[in-house]
Amino acid sequence: MQVHSHRVCMSPKSEGSTSTLSELSSQLAAAVETAGNSVVAIHARRRIPSSGIVWRDGVIVSASHTVRRDDEIPIVLPNGESTVATVAGRDPATDLIALRISGGVAKAHVAPKADSSSLRVGSLVLAVGRPGRNVSASFGIISAVGEGWRSWQGARIDRVFRLDLAVYDGFSGGPLVDTTGAVLGLNNSALARGTPMALPARAIDRVLDELLERGHVRRPFIGVAVQSVALSAAVVKQHQLENDGGLLIVSIADSSPAENAGILLGDVVLEANEQALSQAGDLLDALAGVASGGAVKLKVLRGGTIKTVSVTPADRGEGE
Amino acid sequence: MIGSMLGTARAMSSNVNGLSELLRQAVVEVRSGDTGSGTGIIWGGSGLVVTNAHCIRKGASLQVDAVGKWREAHALAYHPDHDLALLAAPSVSGPLLELRDPDTLRPGELVFAHGHPLGIRDALAMGVLHAVTRDRDKSARWIVADVRLAPGNSGGPLVDAEGRLVGINSMVVNGLGVAVPASLVQRFVERALSQRAA
Repeated sequence: MQVHSHRVCMSPKSEGSTSTLSELSSQLAAAVETAGNSVVAIHARRRIPSSGIVWRDGVIVSASHTVRRDDEIPIVLPNGESTVATVAGRDPATDLIALRISGGVAKAHVAPKADSSSLRVGSLVLAVGRPGRNVSASFGIISAVGEGWRSWQGARIDRVFRLDLAVYDGFSGGPLVDTTGAVLGLNNSALARGTPMALPARAIDRVLDELLERGHVRRPFIGVAVQSVALSAAVVKQHQLENDGGLLIVSIADSSPAENAGILLGDVVLEANEQALSQAGDLLDALAGVASGGAVKLKVLRGGTIKTVSVTPADRGEGE
Repeated sequence: MIGSMLGTARAMSSNVNGLSELLRQAVVEVRSGDTGSGTGIIWGGSGLVVTNAHCIRKGASLQVDAVGKWREAHALAYHPDHDLALLAAPSVSGPLLELRDPDTLRPGELVFAHGHPLGIRDALAMGVLHAVTRDRDKSARWIVADVRLAPGNSGGPLVDAEGRLVGINSMVVNGLGVAVPASLVQRFVERALSQRAA
């Protein structure tokens, strides 16, 4: 039998130029190379390592759930060098962790960021990870953009991306990048219980600023549980209310800011800082807008009369 | 702006159609005994088919289907470690696929898997290259790609954006497609044929 030479070219060029496709292909490979330059491997759990992004000089961000220890965290840098990081802070609500590398890291490894505000459903994106020595990638599209999304731990995030791509083992904590390799966000498969999601770069910057400043993210709370209630038309008319709903206080925590301020069981909170409240989330949003150490003015309906109570929220993020 | 973007997507799409047409002519369906079917690549233009060893049941009758017609084939060589089998199928012919050197592959490159997953003829899947895993001597051992494969893809080609053969799709590990590098396939075929000639 004859041995055929197998180096004969038969690419489908006759079908029209493949240039568009191979151009895209090499652009994607170049994007992965660019992004890979700022992706580290984090060895802080059993099985395979997770990924992290060199976000600022000497600062790495990753997915908190993948970092199972708090001291001497072994990191493999993009250039293959090993180093050790310490935890600068964690935010359980967004599952972000900030790590500091002792001795810093070359500025050239700091990830270039892209403006993610122009991203739309259908935009082409790559997920890049370093679940070991080498960088690897998956490719897909933005499948949805969630505005004002609330994670199941209660954090309000202005914008999240749901991804139509595979976030493989070890990819959590790695970057979502555009076709130039610039970072759009941080991939996390645990944030929404298995659905691949990415937190946008802007949200990461905001959380990171707080983590680096105080080691945790401020989560103001006043210590009440509430339930939405509808007010009768007579009550609305009597008090000339703009809204026909409010939040009924159904429990108050011991020694909480609410208790100290004199909030009582059965009070119906109508407004917080003059913002009408109709769902529990509205109260959380109002509290999030209160400056550190500041107070929130609650307008409550108690025994048929309107009262205003000033409550100074405590910081629950501390000690978490 | 939008017009030019639309043009790019359309051009890409027609490029992919071209790949699909090429690969349709370059593969066969392989059936062995009463096991499920797999895919095979017509090697060297005519007469030879390479597929996965696990698609072939030893001792069972062997047929390949190129253009809607089942023809008898027989096994020439196996390499169980690399999960490869070489078949003689005198009457089949197809285009020669250029081979892609695994050392030039970059993570993130587009790759395409062609085959007959779950009995669906000539299905194409697109993905990106994930990694090339290597033996201790640094030679390429497996091609790992973020591409969706199913039973029936086994033995089929994984190609790059220009239609060059990257590897032979062999298995799915943790959701990732795993292929035997084209360089190993070529070495296997050359050895098998030279041993037969000797």
